Amino acid sequence: MSQSLLEVRNLRTYLQSGGREVRAVDDVSFSIPKGDTFCLVGESGSGKSVSALSVIRLLPQGVASHPTGEILFNGQDLLKLDDPGIRAVRGSQIAMIFQEPMTSLNPVLTIGEQITEALQIHHPNMSDEEAQERTMLALEQVQIPQASGRFRDYPHQLSGGQRQRVMIAMALACEPQLLIADEPTTALDVTVQAEILRLMRKLQDDTGMSMLFITHDFGVVAQMAQWVGVMQQGKLVEVGPSSAVLHNPQHAYTKQLLAALPENLAKPVHLQTLRQLEQETESKPLLQIRDLKVWFPIKKGVFRHTVDYVRAVDDVSLDVPQGQIVALVGESGCGKTTLGRAVLQLEPPTSGSIQIDGQELIGLSARELRPMRRKMQIAFQDPQSSLNPRLLVETTLTEPMKVHGIGANHEERIELASVLLESVQLNRDFLWRYPHEFSGGQRQRIGLARALALNPEFIVCDEITSALDVSVQAEILQLLLNIRQQRNLTLLFITHNIGVVEYLSDQTVVMYQGKIVERGKTAQVCGQPQHPYTQKLLSAVPRLVV
Amino acid sequence: MTNVVSRESFAARIWRKTLDGVGVKVGFAWIGLLVFTAVFSPFLANSMPLLMSKDGVISAPVLKYLSVEDVWVLANFFLALIIYRLRIAVGKRVLLFLLGSALIAVFANLLIKPPALVIYDDFRTPAYTQVDWRIMPPIPYAPTDYLRDMVSKGLEAPFARQGHVHLMGTEENGADVLSRMIHACRIALSIGLIASGIALFIGVIVGGLMGYFSGIVDMLGMRLVEIFEDIPTLFLLLTFVAFFGRSLYMMMVIIGVTGWSGYARFVRTEFLKLRKQDYVQAAVASGLPLTSILFRHMLPNGVAPLLVSVSFGIAGAILAEATLSFLGLGVVDAPSWGAMLDQAVKSSSFNWWMAVFPGGAIFMTVFAYNLIGEAFRDAIDPKLSGKGEGV
Repeated sequence: MSQSLLEVRNLRTYLQSGGREVRAVDDVSFSIPKGDTFCLVGESGSGKSVSALSVIRLLPQGVASHPTGEILFNGQDLLKLDDPGIRAVRGSQIAMIFQEPMTSLNPVLTIGEQITEALQIHHPNMSDEEAQERTMLALEQVQIPQASGRFRDYPHQLSGGQRQRVMIAMALACEPQLLIADEPTTALDVTVQAEILRLMRKLQDDTGMSMLFITHDFGVVAQMAQWVGVMQQGKLVEVGPSSAVLHNPQHAYTKQLLAALPENLAKPVHLQTLRQLEQETESKPLLQIRDLKVWFPIKKGVFRHTVDYVRAVDDVSLDVPQGQIVALVGESGCGKTTLGRAVLQLEPPTSGSIQIDGQELIGLSARELRPMRRKMQIAFQDPQSSLNPRLLVETTLTEPMKVHGIGANHEERIELASVLLESVQLNRDFLWRYPHEFSGGQRQRIGLARALALNPEFIVCDEITSALDVSVQAEILQLLLNIRQQRNLTLLFITHNIGVVEYLSDQTVVMYQGKIVERGKTAQVCGQPQHPYTQKLLSAVPRLVV
Repeated sequence: MTNVVSRESFAARIWRKTLDGVGVKVGFAWIGLLVFTAVFSPFLANSMPLLMSKDGVISAPVLKYLSVEDVWVLANFFLALIIYRLRIAVGKRVLLFLLGSALIAVFANLLIKPPALVIYDDFRTPAYTQVDWRIMPPIPYAPTDYLRDMVSKGLEAPFARQGHVHLMGTEENGADVLSRMIHACRIALSIGLIASGIALFIGVIVGGLMGYFSGIVDMLGMRLVEIFEDIPTLFLLLTFVAFFGRSLYMMMVIIGVTGWSGYARFVRTEFLKLRKQDYVQAAVASGLPLTSILFRHMLPNGVAPLLVSVSFGIAGAILAEATLSFLGLGVVDAPSWGAMLDQAVKSSSFNWWMAVFPGGAIFMTVFAYNLIGEAFRDAIDPKLSGKGEGV
């Protein structure tokens, strides 16, 4: 093992929050050798970001305190430096990139100006010409096409992936010895993520810098890290070389996390037999979509006339067979969510036909549509916004029942609602609580219960596990399979997570730029993809082969 | 995910955060004092005894002279207290209160017949003074009691004369300033609340429809909003006063009808945002009726920022009334703070007590509402509330 660049010893970070003291980082020790990548993995709230922010001393001073600990960077304790001292280290020797490339760049300055400014702060003697030259080099280094032309571009003119490249260019312009990357690819599509990760590895080889890489994705860990630290509730529970930790985990929590990955989840046996049955007798389609178009007009000029359309969903035809789970996969902006909402008439389609149980939905008035709403429901991605914060869970669940005449009276509906909560494995007393009293996973369960309240035949699940930690995701997925089994539900499962698709779905539909590019049995689509886009998508997925 | 969960409802949390500061407590204390004074003003400052015993017969002259308005205000106050105690939904409470209030108004008009003419000098004749015992109000002068029998020279500074204590002096007609201040609370409070209430009602409906339906409804609504924004309220008020004479109710309606555009904009923006929220989409997907979507799922979530602007709006309405009265175009028959300021300016010599007390009261009231508005704004601002929680 070569000499270590960063050595963190017994670091504790306590945060003051509303009169309480939170032990965000509790006695953490690790070291990063020169030129290596150290990955901090953990679920949300485990303290991995706070650890990284402690290293670069970016936590607000009144809020954070470090009762014990040393952070030795090249032998120098960063915690003992005064403000000018840490500023000299920050940026020039330790740089940081963040998760959200949208908000990390200043929208009113060109990207060239921002990188040049960073350079000149740390090298006050650098001339403008030299700084511009170095900026251009940095932009070329992160493989931004036609770097010289992009110098005067504003952040909004770049795509998410390009913005993250600019962030990296800015961080690397001063040639730091350590790069801290806080979930740098979480907000990006999987194909873009693959490119950024490849770029980061290449830059590391070229410059010999070390990286402290924070992520929640074990697939990314497997690709990036030489060393891994697993965090749980502020404590570093396991640390070691990445191959050892990933393939031979010692700590129970690490084992649990790895087991919760969708690709490692054991499929229920009865399900497999069920699928074989289904493969023999192809069931009739419950949902039939024909030539569906959802176009959003782009209006311009004084008279707001329509000059063009955003073709969110373009000529899509799709059958969803009764009792099956059809996964709709694609990257952000491919139209998968719009398609899901159009099926439920939440987004008015431009043209086409949607039939459920042989009954046409398009062209129905709101009144005619109401009885149809019982048959189809939706569950959403964001646990924060999927439940009305002002209503008791009881009201959220019983109101639709009342409207559709389910249950003879209020008492009966409350009984039905409590049974629903039990079926999503929640306590029936939760009826009398408000949404903010629940965790993200619990809220997603309540969201599912609401979708089930009308006893529908068909549910659109719009990325329902994307905002959840991997262990909670595993629970929700298993729950979903159970419910589907009990109620013979048909699901359209919208996701971007290939692991979830493989675990859950019977059929897979791949969408790209508003069109369906490939469809078929999941094993077939994921095993032998035919369309070049599907191939690219699948090869970009970071996998952890155990 | 191990989120910290609390059993507090959203409204309770906002309320707790609002009451966190010192300024807002002062604000609420002042408004509370005003409400108390406005409700009980006949008992606080009046020329007649509250209770007296003459020749063994106990009577309460104050009650005999209570006007219909006094009774209505008192009854509404107790009605509000009772309804506050009931454990029913907010919407039902409001409905119950409005219904009860209307009933009280009808009965009060039918049953209460106060003497048409009140001669305050009578209360200082032996019929009222030579009694076994009597309890007088804390301020023993009615606001329109000009103390002619006491050879009062008007415009007396506080504590100027032995024998008759005028805590805040007297005005040019000889009436007690403090008594007039107390009775003016009602106008100050009611104009703010009712004018803002009217504006809020129109604003929420128009803004809600614009935000929910968007498209052509939104476009027409916004033009309407722009038209009303361009109307100069003060000059409209002046014109109406010139044409139709002075009336408090007309003032309330005009301030309300011209003041809703800001609320409509607020509600529209909130509704545009809320319409895309997943729980609203879920409500649509469940086939819930439009009224439920608008008033149960959207309005309660969009109403919080409105409270902020309402408290500023009330302050604005009070100022508008004060301005109008100051210009000598306010209500004639009842005392008002603005009119008192006007008196202070018009008298030949500067009498500080005529300016300081009503001016101070207007200042404090507007200040109190602004403090409350600011506190609400801070309490509902997620950026401020999220400070220091989970990095």
